[in-house]
Amino acid sequence: MKSRLSETLSFNGRGSIVCSCCEYKICDQDLHWKKSVIISEESMQDLCGDNYTVSQGLLLRRFFCPGCYALLDTETAIHDDPFLYDKIIK
Amino acid sequence: MERLKGGKYIIATDVGGTCTDTVIFAAGEGLKLGKALSTPPNFADGIINSVYSAAEEIGLSLAELFSSCRLFVHGSTVVDNALLTRTGDRTGLITTKGFEDTLLMTRGAYGRWGGLTEDKIKHPVATDRPEPLVPTDRIEGVSERVDYKGEILLQLDEAAAEISIRSLIEVGKVDAIAVSLLWSFFNPQHEKKIKEIINKVSPGVYVSLSNEIAPVPGEYERTSTTVINAYAGSITKNYLTSLESQLEAEGYNGEILVMQGYGGLLSAREAADRAVGMLECGPAAGVIGSRYLGSLMGEENIIAADMGGTTFKVGVIQDGELSHSREPMVDRFHYVAPKIEVVSIGSGGGSIISLDPRTNIPRIGPISAGAVPGPVCYGQGGDEPTLTDVMLLIGYIDPDRFLGGSIKLDVENTRRVFNKKIAQPLGLDIETAAFGIYRIAAAQVTDLIHEITVEQGLDPRDFVLHAFGGSCPLLCSMFGAELNVKNIVVPYAASVNCAFGLASADIVHEYTHTETCSLPCSAEHINNIFKPMVLKGHSQLLSEGFTDKKISLEWAIDFRYGRQVHEVTTPIKVSVPLDDENMSQLISDFETLYERRYGKGSAYKEAGIEMTMFRLTARGLVERPNVEKSQYSGIDSKGAQIGTRNIFVDAKDGMVEAPIYDFDKLSSGNEITGPAVIHTPITTIVIQLDQVGKMDDLRNILIKSI
Amino acid sequence: MDPITFSIIRHRLFRIVDEAVITLKHVSGSAITNEGHDLMVSLYRADGSLLMGGVGFLHHLTSAAEACKSIINKFNSDINENDVFLLNCPYTAALHTSDVYLVAPIHSEGKLVAWSACFVHVYDIGAMNPGGFSPESLDIFTEGFSSPGLKIVDRGEIRKDVMDTLLNMVRSPEMVALDISSMIACNNVARDRMQGLVKKYGISIVDEACSNLIDQSEDLLRERLLELPDGSWESRQYFNVKDETYKVILKMTKSKDTLSFDFSGSSPQSKYGINCSKWASWGGLFAPLFPLLCYDITWNEGVIKPIEMKAPEGTVVNATRPAPVSIATVGAIQAVNNAACTCISKMLSASDKYKNEATAVWHGSHFAIFMFGKNQRSSDSIGILTETFGGAAGARSIGDGVDVGGEIPNPISRMANVETMEWTFPVRYLFRRRLKDSGGPGTYRGGAGAEFAITPHDAPDGGINYVVSGKGTSYPMSEGLAGGYPGAPSRYTWIKNQKKNSDRCLSDDLLVGSNSYEGDKENISWGVFPLFGNDYLHVRWNGGGGYGDPLKRDLKSLEKDVNEGLVSENAAKEIYGAIIINGQVDLEQSVILRKNILNNRVRGGGS
Ligand SMILES: [Zn+2]
Repeated sequence: MKSRLSETLSFNGRGSIVCSCCEYKICDQDLHWKKSVIISEESMQDLCGDNYTVSQGLLLRRFFCPGCYALLDTETAIHDDPFLYDKIIK
Repeated sequence: MERLKGGKYIIATDVGGTCTDTVIFAAGEGLKLGKALSTPPNFADGIINSVYSAAEEIGLSLAELFSSCRLFVHGSTVVDNALLTRTGDRTGLITTKGFEDTLLMTRGAYGRWGGLTEDKIKHPVATDRPEPLVPTDRIEGVSERVDYKGEILLQLDEAAAEISIRSLIEVGKVDAIAVSLLWSFFNPQHEKKIKEIINKVSPGVYVSLSNEIAPVPGEYERTSTTVINAYAGSITKNYLTSLESQLEAEGYNGEILVMQGYGGLLSAREAADRAVGMLECGPAAGVIGSRYLGSLMGEENIIAADMGGTTFKVGVIQDGELSHSREPMVDRFHYVAPKIEVVSIGSGGGSIISLDPRTNIPRIGPISAGAVPGPVCYGQGGDEPTLTDVMLLIGYIDPDRFLGGSIKLDVENTRRVFNKKIAQPLGLDIETAAFGIYRIAAAQVTDLIHEITVEQGLDPRDFVLHAFGGSCPLLCSMFGAELNVKNIVVPYAASVNCAFGLASADIVHEYTHTETCSLPCSAEHINNIFKPMVLKGHSQLLSEGFTDKKISLEWAIDFRYGRQVHEVTTPIKVSVPLDDENMSQLISDFETLYERRYGKGSAYKEAGIEMTMFRLTARGLVERPNVEKSQYSGIDSKGAQIGTRNIFVDAKDGMVEAPIYDFDKLSSGNEITGPAVIHTPITTIVIQLDQVGKMDDLRNILIKSI
Repeated sequence: MDPITFSIIRHRLFRIVDEAVITLKHVSGSAITNEGHDLMVSLYRADGSLLMGGVGFLHHLTSAAEACKSIINKFNSDINENDVFLLNCPYTAALHTSDVYLVAPIHSEGKLVAWSACFVHVYDIGAMNPGGFSPESLDIFTEGFSSPGLKIVDRGEIRKDVMDTLLNMVRSPEMVALDISSMIACNNVARDRMQGLVKKYGISIVDEACSNLIDQSEDLLRERLLELPDGSWESRQYFNVKDETYKVILKMTKSKDTLSFDFSGSSPQSKYGINCSKWASWGGLFAPLFPLLCYDITWNEGVIKPIEMKAPEGTVVNATRPAPVSIATVGAIQAVNNAACTCISKMLSASDKYKNEATAVWHGSHFAIFMFGKNQRSSDSIGILTETFGGAAGARSIGDGVDVGGEIPNPISRMANVETMEWTFPVRYLFRRRLKDSGGPGTYRGGAGAEFAITPHDAPDGGINYVVSGKGTSYPMSEGLAGGYPGAPSRYTWIKNQKKNSDRCLSDDLLVGSNSYEGDKENISWGVFPLFGNDYLHVRWNGGGGYGDPLKRDLKSLEKDVNEGLVSENAAKEIYGAIIINGQVDLEQSVILRKNILNNRVRGGGS
């Protein structure tokens, strides 16, 4: 049965994590899904405009669905910091 | 008053959300009561119907009644209604440039959580601000600036202001404009100038100035008030004008007086320009009525409680003085205007009883079954048990005699529904469960009254309780005993108390002057502040036909301790104009009041004392005929007993057979020992075990513990 | 027990806390207590466990429980009827020295039946910098008066020696005295009413109701946790002081009916006072947990039982004495609040039933600016710029965040009017309004923050000084959720030597906004600064986090945002992919632009 992983991702009930928008199969349900999607890492200042007078080294990471390019998640990060990993035990 | 001289009757009508009530005072006669359904949006129909029903009781035609009417007093929810239904004018706002967002920012979260119950406040993710009455694109900032002393730092740019005004009118299509500039209550020049320009550009646009509507510090509340006033301005004006012409058509050509939220009356002409003044005027009238009744009975400390179908409301009168709300709200909008404090909870006869599905703990309200489908016992399809159903199940309401027998109540079905939804899940029998709910209702009301008495340093044991409304007389014997009040009074006019209050109110004009003076301050300086207000108030009342003997001018000053936020309005009880000697008495009065209100040890004298606002209340005393008193006819109430019925008495005894009385058959002096029930045409009065009820010479029922 | 009596007692307990809060506000009479609602009152059981938490700064509910327990241990047999104890040591239970706890035992028939506890942020606590937030303090010893527990009222009598000692160590002792009185009065009311309740129903019935109330909360929370999926969620907060950057790392794990919070990986403690102690982190995670997970559950010990925390010692979230912590409440604690808010929200998002309860972070960073100096009436004055309580709500799955809508850990805060501030301090505001492009972009936009500028006005000394200990300037702290972006950071700009046309005449263009400043600008965030002569201070405060992909934001809503001045045309185009010209959205062009941006994402490309 289908169930939620987050607002944007689901478990398809057949062992995979899928995009809730397009059903694209992202990875096995026990894997770190962020490693199987399109990642954009840009300077937050460049991306968000004049008001974001933040530290130059601060990045906004965005994770896009390889199927429909929907934005699945964001995180703020300094260069070497690992991905935040949200997982649900199935 | 000029037109007060002729005529025999004073007619008072109160338009509430559901009913329009009428009370008629006549010299040498008892009170006459009338009731009809309210008829929004054309309230006048309901008003005429209600007066008609009272006229019938006297045996007069409407025309006969109106032709010998000397005063028509009126209270209405028209302004509250305009806000609740969002039917006011398309309104724009002009404010100081740089501060255009003041109204929308609502001092941060204040406008998001304001007016919510604690349950909702604890759930912030589910909360939002209400839609503002004026959206961003109808707010214009103008170049100008006044400082905290009232000094002009930057002159109003009149040309730019005119462009803003034209834009509001031509692009924004507004019908009303509120003007609220920073510090305008210290220096209103710029607001006045803007009004001139608006009048020049488009004379038909309704204008409210903050320095006139709410001349007090605090730009958010002042702006919000001014906007509300502009928004409901023309509705109010049209309402009162049409009421005037309708009454004229019915043969009345006298004065119409309109109730204000502060509990005084204004002429319809004056009231028309102050829509905010009419907010919550019904409950205010209720408290005024209570005070008047108290004065007839020689009581100055009163808890005035009113419980109808959806809400329980209560106000407090101490030493004959009313307390005022500090932060009033209407439909979750803040406003600032003198207003009698009345607090409420969503608990009434129609409140639905439910069990928390997770814990099985019973809850009362806040949802109400309304008039349709109503309580289960009405048999109109309601299938959620309500407080009214509970009253029926414990025998307090007679299924055959509800509202004078006009509706026959369905006991069978009520028992079935209540048993299934409440009693069974609680593991209790029907009567025990129902009495438990009754106790919870009484406890919640007790806690609310606690809030405005004990929490304000007042002891309920020094107070009498007045129980108004359709549901209060059923519950008051319980919570009154819990609070240990001196006496419980179910007034004769219990079901129409707001109208009763209207009929007993005076004409009151309120004037204020904002200025901060630190002590020491000369008496002369203060006298000079009051002088123009005194002249204004006095001549206003003279022009309304009051003689000096009927004019009372009451002075009051708002004091606070330095660096403290709480202000206390201190009535000047010493003789005025002030001299330096009675100044010190005044200050000590303030200190006493402060400690009484904010608690022992709260007075912080080291930082000095400041005066922040000067208030004049100009009162024109309306002459009222004496209420007729009935003859004492002994304590024996046997003649009024019409039968017996089982009612729930306490957990030990359960349902016990108790005598039932007919209110109309009781006479002055009759006593009834509880447990007992008295049926009136409109409500039911319950007297508990260990209590005795007595009818007084005004046909009020007094309940005392034995 | 009988559900009717239980229901009545529960209602009464609510009212007791509420009444005590009113007393506190009434007697204190200060702006921070009355406007900011920077206070807390709660009832505790005889053993110090939380019985009924009130609506105030929520990270104090559990810390005050620790304060009670600590007093019980320390004073043991010396706890008497009508005693009141003071505790403000952050390494014992408090959050920072200026949030002073007063805790009082409640006896009935000679038996200890409960405790009441409250705090206010006192006017001053004698730290290096006035007002309590003390950026110049580099250890706890310079953060002012600090006590791990002392008896301030002995059997109803105020201990004058103790009071005098405390007042001897603070600025404006008369104001601090009033704060202490307000807390004594508050405890008195709570005790009185609690005793009334016990007298009416008897010790054993009330005791049973209290213990049921706690069990009930525990059952309800555990049931709710069982409804949510098992898993773990991570979040990260950055903040800095000067050149040092700190992280708070949180991994929240839910297993069956328990929830654990692990802060391993968080930065070593700072030499500056933004650290917090262990109990402060514990409180910090509950501040969002109460309203997010327990909005319909009584906040008490029962809610605490299913929760665990791990916070490694020597880190910013569990500093080792004598590390400074005076900024904790707006420093590391707030980072803990935010991180917990994000993890809890992500967990809620994973549930069909609870997804609508999820929210991006609200008002990620306070800007505690304290003014101090002579006011226009020449008296000494210390006070907070209450705008920090204005806040900004995070966006939710059900809608935008509320602009300037407050914060989660303090559900009923508000800010003072400009007229109040101009009356209190010798300053003049140039503007105060919502801030463009501050709400985090998303399908649902984060609530906008706001901005204001002040300059001296009628200051007898020519101006006034202020302490600023703001974080959230280099790193935005209002995290987005579900693809939403974070809200814009805060910024404090000191404008020096701005040309004023003359003393009494304002140049009109200055009112329009920051771009027309002619003076030298310096962005500041830490320390003591002057506002003298021709100085200006321009504060921009952070918006709430966004929710969902900004490309999916409804175009009509964006058009409204642009017209309300909340989103710039440029941001609408670059971030949201919406072409809005002259206040009108170009539907056709926007659809094309959005398609292009989406296609760019193939290469991991930006907007
Ligand atoms: Zn997809």
